[in-house]
Amino acid sequence: MTAMVKAEGVHKSFGGVQVLKGIDLEVKTGEVFCLIGPSGSGKSTFLRCINHLEKINAGRLYVDGELVGYRQKGDKLYELKDSEVAQQRRDIGMVFQRFNLFPHMTAVENVMEAPVQVKGLSRSAARQRALELLDRVGLGDKAGNYPSQLSGGQQQRVAIARALAMDPKLMLFDEPTSALDPELVGDVLDVMRDLAESGMTMIVVTHEMGFAREVGDSLVFMDGGVVVESGHPRDVLTDPQHERTKSFLSKVL
Amino acid sequence: MTDKLDKGTGGARPAAAVSKDDGPASVAPAVIKAIPVRHYGRYVSAVVVLALVGLLINAFATAEKIQWQAVGDYVFDSTVLAGAGRTLLISVLAMVMGVVLGVILAVMRLSKNPVTSWVAWVYIWFFRGTPVYVQLLLWFNLALIFPVLNLGPLYKDEMVDVMTPFMAALLGLGLNEAAYMAEICRAGLQSVDDGQTEAAHALGMSHGKTLRRIVIPQAMRVIVPPTGNEFLNMLKTSSLVYAVTYNELLRATSTIGSTSYAVMEMLFVACIWYLVITSVFSVGQYYLERRFARGSSRNLPPTPWQKIKVNMMAFSRERSSTV
Repeated sequence: MTAMVKAEGVHKSFGGVQVLKGIDLEVKTGEVFCLIGPSGSGKSTFLRCINHLEKINAGRLYVDGELVGYRQKGDKLYELKDSEVAQQRRDIGMVFQRFNLFPHMTAVENVMEAPVQVKGLSRSAARQRALELLDRVGLGDKAGNYPSQLSGGQQQRVAIARALAMDPKLMLFDEPTSALDPELVGDVLDVMRDLAESGMTMIVVTHEMGFAREVGDSLVFMDGGVVVESGHPRDVLTDPQHERTKSFLSKVL
Repeated sequence: MTDKLDKGTGGARPAAAVSKDDGPASVAPAVIKAIPVRHYGRYVSAVVVLALVGLLINAFATAEKIQWQAVGDYVFDSTVLAGAGRTLLISVLAMVMGVVLGVILAVMRLSKNPVTSWVAWVYIWFFRGTPVYVQLLLWFNLALIFPVLNLGPLYKDEMVDVMTPFMAALLGLGLNEAAYMAEICRAGLQSVDDGQTEAAHALGMSHGKTLRRIVIPQAMRVIVPPTGNEFLNMLKTSSLVYAVTYNELLRATSTIGSTSYAVMEMLFVACIWYLVITSVFSVGQYYLERRFARGSSRNLPPTPWQKIKVNMMAFSRERSSTV
């Protein structure tokens, strides 16, 4: 299997605060890659670097063999133009903790928006595809509802459908269930499980250890801006090697 | 989402409690019949206010010096109508100018380019910081310092020919309005959650598309109400262009007033037309706000027309059932 995402010594700081202190990791095509760690460990920041919502300060980040946000010519790096960054992002779907659905559009319009505006798909074709995707996440009957008329779990599933509408090769999930009422978490995880089974490459920042153990192919524990421990989810979660991992897991499990 | 849940459980709980307490024989509870509290203060204040309003009306109705006849005669006078038309024209044009320039200034102020943002700041600082009356006079008297308008090979003319009363009024009102609209637009754009921009960018949308499709439609909800206010203000402020001899409503009525010895009566006529115009636009604003509220509230309030329709349907249904 080839690497879908490759990080080499990724550093990121906000102001003077170092948030990522050299992340090296590899996400293989088709795998479900889980990032866990305490808040402030930099896992969300790292996720946002992958689609260049945050600019990295040092190191290299590749998605599907392509450098993210820069072009290398000889030993010089050139920043990509906004339009080129947008081009790169088209293939990377992202799901946010707070859903970030467009509130002035109905569910189906949310899903149609990017295919029509970015890919230039006709409205009727985009609508048909959007309805299929809403069906797939179990919300075929909610197509005409505005986000404010949907529950959190439903909103998050619309957000997943919206990301899928661009036919991404990689999906990023930034704590997709953290803002949900406990009883709504299951529906969203079910959709993500289905997506994993369909072979989608997924990077999931999560506190759902059950999901990580069941669905994850790899798991990384981050703390203080570095990767502390990585391996197969079952191994790391049941038999952590580092003290820091042990103490974290003892609190969340 | 959470309040929806709360509503669900909140609705279920009392129902369950009722069935438990009442047991198998559920009897309707006795409705409380209590003597309501008497609010004597309300009766007193209502009487006092009504008395004062009555006195005021009486004063106007019995004033021998008011020639109500003149008010009626001149309301639809062609000069007055033309003046009202010009008031409307200059207000709309100045407002359009203000909105367009205001949006540009807002984007300039928010841009990362320090030069454009600084220029926008200075513009807003000057035009908000000086009275619009002074600005009108500045434009009107521009020929005193620049007798000739020379735009190089593009255009060249005598300033007095260019700076007509209409031009002075338009520039004075429009450029002033732009400064206020810039701040309103900026507040609107900044009110949209950053997550919206991020979500749009993550989908591969460009900056321009994100602004046009995602940010501005949501900013409009914040921008429209104060813009409506600005327009109503503009309709009234336009009376200041009297000073630059533009023949709008106030000038038209005053001219008649001073020649026909009906000064107050003509001011009443002006008031009537200002009220008519502002009332019509207030209704328009209501519908505009309703449109941009889509998605922000679960149920839009019915429009007055919808209310009438619903009432009429209920009425006809009642009638058909009784027949």
